Amino acid sequence: MSEEKTLSISDLVVEYHTDHGVVHAVNGVSLGLEARETLGLVGETGAGKTTIAMSILKILPTPPAKIVSGEVKFEGQDIMKMDSHDLRKVRGNKISMIFQDPMTALNPVFTIGEQIAEGIHLHQNLKKGDAEIKAMEMLEMVGIRRERFTDYPHQFSGGMKQRAIIAIALACNPKLLLADEPTTALDVTIQAQVLDLIGELKERLNTAMILITHDLGVVAKSCDKVAIIYAGQIFEYGTKFQVYAETRHPYTQGLFDSLPSINKEVPRLKPIPGLMPNPMDLPAGCPFHPRCPRAMAECSERAINPTDLGDGHWVRCINPIN
Amino acid sequence: MSTPLLEVKELSKYFETPYGLLHAVDHVNFKIDRGKTLGVVGESGCGKTTLGRTILHLLDSTRGKIFFEGEDITHVNRKRLKELRAQMQIIFQDPYSSLNPRMTISETIGEPLRLVKNLKGEELSREVRRLMDVVGLAQRFINTYPHELDGGRRQRIGIARALALNPKFIVCDEPVSALDVSIQAQVINLLLDLQDEWGLTYIFITHDLSVVRYLSDEICVMYLGQVVEKCDADELFRNPLHSYTQALLSAIPSPDIFDKTERVLLQGELASPVNPKPGCRFYPRCRNGCEDCLKPLELVEVSPGHHVACHRYSF
Repeated sequence: MSEEKTLSISDLVVEYHTDHGVVHAVNGVSLGLEARETLGLVGETGAGKTTIAMSILKILPTPPAKIVSGEVKFEGQDIMKMDSHDLRKVRGNKISMIFQDPMTALNPVFTIGEQIAEGIHLHQNLKKGDAEIKAMEMLEMVGIRRERFTDYPHQFSGGMKQRAIIAIALACNPKLLLADEPTTALDVTIQAQVLDLIGELKERLNTAMILITHDLGVVAKSCDKVAIIYAGQIFEYGTKFQVYAETRHPYTQGLFDSLPSINKEVPRLKPIPGLMPNPMDLPAGCPFHPRCPRAMAECSERAINPTDLGDGHWVRCINPIN
Repeated sequence: MSTPLLEVKELSKYFETPYGLLHAVDHVNFKIDRGKTLGVVGESGCGKTTLGRTILHLLDSTRGKIFFEGEDITHVNRKRLKELRAQMQIIFQDPYSSLNPRMTISETIGEPLRLVKNLKGEELSREVRRLMDVVGLAQRFINTYPHELDGGRRQRIGIARALALNPKFIVCDEPVSALDVSIQAQVINLLLDLQDEWGLTYIFITHDLSVVRYLSDEICVMYLGQVVEKCDADELFRNPLHSYTQALLSAIPSPDIFDKTERVLLQGELASPVNPKPGCRFYPRCRNGCEDCLKPLELVEVSPGHHVACHRYSF
């Protein structure tokens, strides 16, 4: 066993250069992921979650995107320095991605079977026929009958499309799976099925996973580590237990307070006041300070560095909750 | 007893398809009192949106009756319908397709004010700005087009537009599903405040049971066009009787990491609502199914106010 982490991101900065200005999407994100670990990346719209995932695969459209600095090391190799030939060997093979919207992630003019077999044929040096046999096995593994192999995406329901996408993503037995809101577009009963399926297959195939979501409930069910992200910065990082039971960042707490609960009566929700900052014009200092109930003068004056709380739990706040 | 603000009796909406009749809404009954909220919960395709639209006459009902403040509005002429529509509004589900891409925010929110209230110029602009404030849209967006905004902000435009005419009744069709949690909580609180202030009555359509518990007085659970369980909101969460309700409740991932409740995973997916067989429509996915389930069934009251459509509870 090598000591190398499956993935390590250090100081990633990504901007989008648009006609209206520069969007500061990711502002110095550092993350590590051990083999077989599941990290929940939690944040709201525009926090930079998807941009991080796309940077890992280097599939950001450039321009307008620009990776300003940072390293993304996958099994010791810097993805940022790879050429397109090497990247192709990684994408869909060692690292694969499940996209958010199953309705648009599949190509409508190819059959489901062809789309699963494509990656297998390209990456595993299998002949078309053999790749198709493997693809059928994948289809069965995600709980779809073999006969549906020649169906087109429009003949599938949303839940089945997402299963097919999971089959595509896992077909080459990747080391790292990036799941970008894999169940957001699905109904709760189907969501429960799909999450169980992802968890089970991940276990069986020894895959590490980054689960991008805005749903703290989904994270509680399926992740080991949690990173809370806001305005392109990680605000709090730790094990699920640390972040959920020993919450230190006011933003994390704000997210929990905003959730209506099915288990208990809450007289009134406590939303976080205000709106997400405009990523073209982020507030100085901590980007959360205008909405933060614990903000001090210092918060707006300087950039806030992470504070280590021990046991791998850290928080980017100078006045954390005790 | 006072007249309920809205009452529907045996309301049905069928669509003709090349394969047969699609039973989108099938014999639905309920009443909503003024200032109350009825939550309608179910998965995609269960007919909850069709129900909301049929009540508002955006779709013609196939069968059944709709009463608004005691008046039968199932078949009304256009003039009366126009008057009614000022009092009955809808917040649509999809903020991406419910806004005209060629209209700026101020035009979209201002349109009902201009057409119905005849507001103009400074007065119109002031009212638009006030509504933007109410729904938490920053003034800098006043002249932007929908494509420039994210889903959350677009949905706020939809809410502002629905509120513009001070309606009595609003069908909220998944209004917070597209919003982030911190913003979702703001909008939910906003909807509650508006209800308190103006005595609004809501039908709140959603697939999110935690939201519906928080907002509703009474809840209808729908499955394939039919109401399978109907009762007081707290009662539904304390004592869900229908197997489908139980499965729905257990499928929600709880943000409580210490919650170790065993999950009931539903097998399979929704069946087709085209030409459904008599009997329980949930039967193919039900854990407690038996032969009786293939017989026709009705919603029965098992305890005061708690209705359920399941053979295990019919006597």
